[in-house]
Amino acid sequence: MEMQPSTQPAAMQEIETPPSSRRKWLKKLYTQRHIQIMALLGIAWMVIFNYIPMYGVIIAFKDYDIIRTIAEAPWAGLTHFKEFLQDENFVNVMKNTLGISLLKLLTFPLPIAFALFLNEVRSLRYKKAIQTISYLPHFLSWVVLGGILATWLSDVGIINDIFMALHIIDKPISFLAEPKYFWTIIITSDIWKELGWSAIIYLAAITSISPEMYEAATIDGAGRFQQMWYVTLPSIKATISILFILAVSGVLNSNFDQILVLRNSLNDSASNVIDYYVYYTGISSGRYSFSTAIGLFKSVIALILLLIANQVSKKLNDTSLF
Amino acid sequence: MGMKSKSKKMMMLLMAAIMVLSLAACGGGNNNATKESANNKAANTNTQETTEPAATPSADEPGWKSDTSPITFDWYLNFAWFPNKWGVDPTSQYVTKKTGVDINFIVPAGNENEKLNTLIASGKLPDFITLGWYEDGVKKMIEGGLVEPLNKLAEQYDPYFFKVADPDKLGWYTQEDGNIYGYPNSSSSPKDYEQYGDTYVSNQTFVVRKDIYEAIGSPDMRTPEGFVAALKAAQEKFPEINGQPLIPLGLHEFTATGNDSLEGYLQNFLAIPRQKDGKLYNRETDPEYVTWLKTLRQANQEGLLAKDIFIDKRAQMEEKIAQGRYFAMLYQRTDFAAQLGTLYQQDPNKIYIAVDGPANSKMDPPTLNGPSISGWTVTLISKDVKDKARAIKFLSYLMSEEGQKDLYLGEKGVSYDTIDGKDQFKPEAFDLMNKDRAAFDKQYGSSFTFWMMQNTNITQQWQPESVEPYKQLEDWTRGKTISVSEFDLIDPLANSDEGIILGKIKDLRSKTLPKLLMAPSEAEFDKIWADYIKKQEDLGLAKVQAFQQTKYEENKKKLGMQ
Repeated sequence: MEMQPSTQPAAMQEIETPPSSRRKWLKKLYTQRHIQIMALLGIAWMVIFNYIPMYGVIIAFKDYDIIRTIAEAPWAGLTHFKEFLQDENFVNVMKNTLGISLLKLLTFPLPIAFALFLNEVRSLRYKKAIQTISYLPHFLSWVVLGGILATWLSDVGIINDIFMALHIIDKPISFLAEPKYFWTIIITSDIWKELGWSAIIYLAAITSISPEMYEAATIDGAGRFQQMWYVTLPSIKATISILFILAVSGVLNSNFDQILVLRNSLNDSASNVIDYYVYYTGISSGRYSFSTAIGLFKSVIALILLLIANQVSKKLNDTSLF
Repeated sequence: MGMKSKSKKMMMLLMAAIMVLSLAACGGGNNNATKESANNKAANTNTQETTEPAATPSADEPGWKSDTSPITFDWYLNFAWFPNKWGVDPTSQYVTKKTGVDINFIVPAGNENEKLNTLIASGKLPDFITLGWYEDGVKKMIEGGLVEPLNKLAEQYDPYFFKVADPDKLGWYTQEDGNIYGYPNSSSSPKDYEQYGDTYVSNQTFVVRKDIYEAIGSPDMRTPEGFVAALKAAQEKFPEINGQPLIPLGLHEFTATGNDSLEGYLQNFLAIPRQKDGKLYNRETDPEYVTWLKTLRQANQEGLLAKDIFIDKRAQMEEKIAQGRYFAMLYQRTDFAAQLGTLYQQDPNKIYIAVDGPANSKMDPPTLNGPSISGWTVTLISKDVKDKARAIKFLSYLMSEEGQKDLYLGEKGVSYDTIDGKDQFKPEAFDLMNKDRAAFDKQYGSSFTFWMMQNTNITQQWQPESVEPYKQLEDWTRGKTISVSEFDLIDPLANSDEGIILGKIKDLRSKTLPKLLMAPSEAEFDKIWADYIKKQEDLGLAKVQAFQQTKYEENKKKLGMQ
């Protein structure tokens, strides 16, 4: 009985705090209502186009037939996953996917270097011109570019003309017909197409660096390269980390458009990647469950890679996605 | 970029998860609801129509004449290349004026399978659907109950349908439930063969460039030795065409399932039988066929197969044909008709002509695929059709002689006239047809610009003599054309057990064919070949063959061949 008076206020306090914080939260929400509505649209879009379709992933575990509904399809367990792992194309497909993607990952520093050098260009007009020219190829679709490249790389194409004129090769090579050149073609054309475009985000990060830092560095006697190394790079470290983590998660994501337009029956042993395989078995042969299983397999590995990269980045330089 | 607050962190986690997982999210949604509503709708229109005081339809009277009020049907064509629209040209305008039916064609923008499967999965189809009889989609739509039985529609609304339909074709396309869901175009029954057989031509030709062929002394290319020697002679005498290297031999493109030229096509030239004593014959294993593949390997070793032929897609091939870059081609004549016309106008000497090509060791004439009862496409009417009566009536009209004449000759006075007592194309129309088919389609729209229900057996009475350079190619195939109806429709559905095996075998074939031709030595070829045959067996070829055998026997029964 004696305890009662003392406990009651305490309990009162406990009950009182949440409403007040909730009220605060609601008040905050109310003041932000216009912004919140805008955000809500985005969330709705995300739910409709990203979360609801995820329901379809379950067909990877079922024997789905397009004339029946997903719910009606009988469960198949992990059959499709097992089949993919035992598929005779599996080793080749994984080799090509990982090979091409890891090589693409190695080219990750190129746009950074390009952005750094571009940043050092003093003539504004020259810089703008270079920038525009370098990201122009980005706006060409791979479908168009594929046709152009096929012509350039054929045995009577411009690349052979140049190499012959420079005496690098003795007789014309049909580049797209040789599996051993395929990865090089993919990586080089990708750099050529996307270098300028990928540099934009770094350039943006560089512009946000305070000029005072450079002034301070100059006073301390730092040269241009030292400024680049000790001021610019550390300042955009966070941007680099985040983009790198995302790039790692995309390792299994070979550029489908590019592969589709440049592959052919002769370079198949170097050009058959997961994405193409999914397209071929799923869209062309109509084996939706099987190809969804492959897609899901790919996504799970991508998620694991993302988490690892994120952890490593957190440990090393304290920047991470989450 | 300091992500400090917790909510921001959560947001980033969420976004990352989405970026990764959205890749996996594919496949159709739950379409129960749509199906149900579609059914309800069908039921509604059903009741509406039955309550209408329908005049008792007569079998002799064309049903479409009873109602010519305006109506627009959506018509899905499973052919991404189809370039025309209804109502642009005088012929389709004439048909619309006559029948009241306007058509809105729906054509896939990209991969046809993708579009068709999406339509099927959504459970709601356009009014009419036209697709190749060989497509999986036909069976899926029938099994899924997405299409109307034509016989039921005809009984209820338009018995005239049975008057204009060919009973043999109806029999061929009768399903196990006794209903007919689709009617073919370009179809010729065994009876048609008896009647018109000597006029039939095949698409399959072996062609050479006339001037080069004559310059090397018009050699015999039927034997392996003669074939390789001719390619070699052509390459030596004409290493370049307009500054670019000559391509000695052209083939259809290599696809993910194989190569048309190097499979059935070559086997037809070698007159390899499709069956022996009532058993389907695995034509691929025939020694004559292997000999010729080895011949092509030899040709490659001697530098006579250009890399281009393994890489080029149809578009690149067409460009090179128009430049006359190939010496010889194992290629469908209809697939390069436009380019041939261009070449002919530039120089009638630098065209492609058909000559006797690869033959077996006994020098038997080729057995080329002629028109078959399956035809080319089938047209189905969807369960969701706007107006069942009008749809079946319009279909009957298109199938009837009147409809065939309207779409073939067009409107009288516009695209055809009675000249010398015979209905035929006006000379200026015929001239444009041969010179520029695309322009003809827009300006006249006749001669089956809209080929969905074309029946060439009916229209051949109005058909003009073909002209050079096309005539020579057609004439060459005469007498070498056989009916292969009973071998159609024997492949399993792609996602059935047998179908999956067949898919894998085709995938294997598409990878093996280039390897065989590129093999550095004959010993290497033999190794690849033995490996290929063994892998096929391991994949379960026997199961597929058993399936096909059963279907083949059913087909023979349907056609009364037993």
